[in-house]
Amino acid sequence: MDLSYLQVLEREKVLEVLRRDKQLRTVEEDRIRRMKCELQDLRRRGAKNFARQYGERTCARCQRPLGKFWNSGAVCCGCSHRICRRCRVGAENWKCTVCHAYREVKIMSGEWFLEEKAKKFPLAKDKYETVGDMLLKIYSGLSHISVVPPTPPPNKDYQFMGRFGELKNSKSFTKSMEDVMVSFKCQIRESNSHNDVRVDFLQVDNSRNGGFFKSSNQKSLSDTNINKSSILFKVPSLPNLFKKSKDSDMEGSSTGAEDEASISSEHSGGQRSSISSISADCGHFDSVSVTGELELAMVYNSNALCLEVTVGACRNLTHGDGKRKKCNPYVKLYVLPDKSSKLKTSVKRNTTDPIYNEVVKYDIERHLLFGKRLQASVWHSGTLKRRVFLGEVLIPLDGWRYEDKSPQRFHWYPLCPKVRAENTFGKEPELMFGLLKV
Amino acid sequence: MASATATYGQKESSDQNFDYMFKILIIGNSSVGKTSFLFRYADDSFTPAFVSTVGIDFKVKTIYRNDKRIKLQIWDTAGQERYRTITTAYYRGAMGFILMYDITNEDSFNAVQDWSTQIKTYSWDNAQVLLVGNKCDMEDERVVSADRGRQLSEHLGFEFFEASAKDNINVKQTFERLVDIICEKMSESLDAGDPAVTGAKQGPQLTEQPAPPHQDCAC
Repeated sequence: MDLSYLQVLEREKVLEVLRRDKQLRTVEEDRIRRMKCELQDLRRRGAKNFARQYGERTCARCQRPLGKFWNSGAVCCGCSHRICRRCRVGAENWKCTVCHAYREVKIMSGEWFLEEKAKKFPLAKDKYETVGDMLLKIYSGLSHISVVPPTPPPNKDYQFMGRFGELKNSKSFTKSMEDVMVSFKCQIRESNSHNDVRVDFLQVDNSRNGGFFKSSNQKSLSDTNINKSSILFKVPSLPNLFKKSKDSDMEGSSTGAEDEASISSEHSGGQRSSISSISADCGHFDSVSVTGELELAMVYNSNALCLEVTVGACRNLTHGDGKRKKCNPYVKLYVLPDKSSKLKTSVKRNTTDPIYNEVVKYDIERHLLFGKRLQASVWHSGTLKRRVFLGEVLIPLDGWRYEDKSPQRFHWYPLCPKVRAENTFGKEPELMFGLLKV
Repeated sequence: MASATATYGQKESSDQNFDYMFKILIIGNSSVGKTSFLFRYADDSFTPAFVSTVGIDFKVKTIYRNDKRIKLQIWDTAGQERYRTITTAYYRGAMGFILMYDITNEDSFNAVQDWSTQIKTYSWDNAQVLLVGNKCDMEDERVVSADRGRQLSEHLGFEFFEASAKDNINVKQTFERLVDIICEKMSESLDAGDPAVTGAKQGPQLTEQPAPPHQDCAC
């Protein structure tokens, strides 16, 4: 399809609509991606951890043992697994938690419709999605040539699209479009000036700004700065403070041991032993319970062949030093299972809501991301190099779409307790180091 | 488990605060009032001036229905033939259609059959369609009786409303009914591959919905 039969202004107008649609779809894809990720997470929790467990009668979801006569569980009509009473949703026609979540995701993501649609259009299942994209791609160059009047900024857009030109109409139009326009004002401005919206870092700051988006790098919006990779590091709010193994002199001796520990946790993640109990054992650390969230954005840069992870911020962290109400948090990242990939953010002092805005790059080919997981853990850096674990998130990197083109989106991930099996604290380098120093 | 559900509620930024999104397309001959109908619904505004839609346009409205927040992306299409290639490209992504004619315009009514064929050709098999006879406030100029509209809708297997964007008659009802029947199709689609679920709390409960007030145009 092409728009060549349309007049220039008509074409501009259509393209403007397509751009708005693309914004909307980007948000929607983001929402769906997050839902699917959560579902995946839920599924993973039900995975059997040890081969020997296969013979046992356990609930397929929570892994609690089931009795022969009492609390023997029942078979879920969705997945045919044996499920304990606690992991059921609904009364009569109950389903297990995963089957229930699966259905919910199908509804909420609109996947049911895609499946229905695929029955009729099996080959070009997503053609609809690409018609707009295709046109945008074809005409993106044309539409910015100066012969054509430049697309007006959003405020004028309202009136333009309000088609009757009345202030009243444009006002109510704004109201109806509030979710698209208001929150993406920055992005629209961005996409109007050049096609690549990826460099537009939007940040959600729910706790302080009541859910408004704020653009954290307005400076970079000029057309001269289109070079993506340079922007990442030029932008003042996103300094690349990461230096690979910057402090390896401090921790280098123990890195090997840590690797081993975490790899073992990879294979035996079932046993939950929180670091706090270990900390209590050795007496140097306060017990901390895990609270709060971590904000991350990920994108795969296919030009530079690297995964770029932006650590946005944390909020509601537990005080690493509970007695003195102190917290000096930093974030440590791995692309598991490769434990040589450690990168860390700077340490923020005396805050439980640190803001980092730091970019980490992992040089890795895209296809190698399959089966990998991003582990981001938050640590308190105490006196005498004591480290206190404040929580972590594990994000599967397969089945994830990191388009270069889409704007980098931040998500808040709830921090989880560590899923580790090791009990000897010698395996925990942070602790070991603390001990050595003391 | 808690963490999996917690984030649903936490990121309540203005743009993602809904449970699911439906895409709806409004089609019909030029000047039957598609754009006015959409403006009335989304903005509660009306302007008698006629401005032909260029290609396509859409509006977004989030509604609360059956205990769910449903975000509607409502596509408004140009009725003019010259934009047909663009508009038909968007049939495929639409879950439901509002097929509109003008009760004061015989041609627009006669074209309904053709529009219906277009839907059958370009859309998914379970596309839900509501036939709407717009401008029912203009009783003096009526040339298509409500009975003919109803008969045609029965023949085509669509539900039928007469409406007026100008006087705000049956506009909201039309959209809400369409949302409900899309919800029904959604539940059917999900339960087809899933013998277990008939009720529980998953799908929107539609049985309690009263039958739509067909034909209660007050003119």
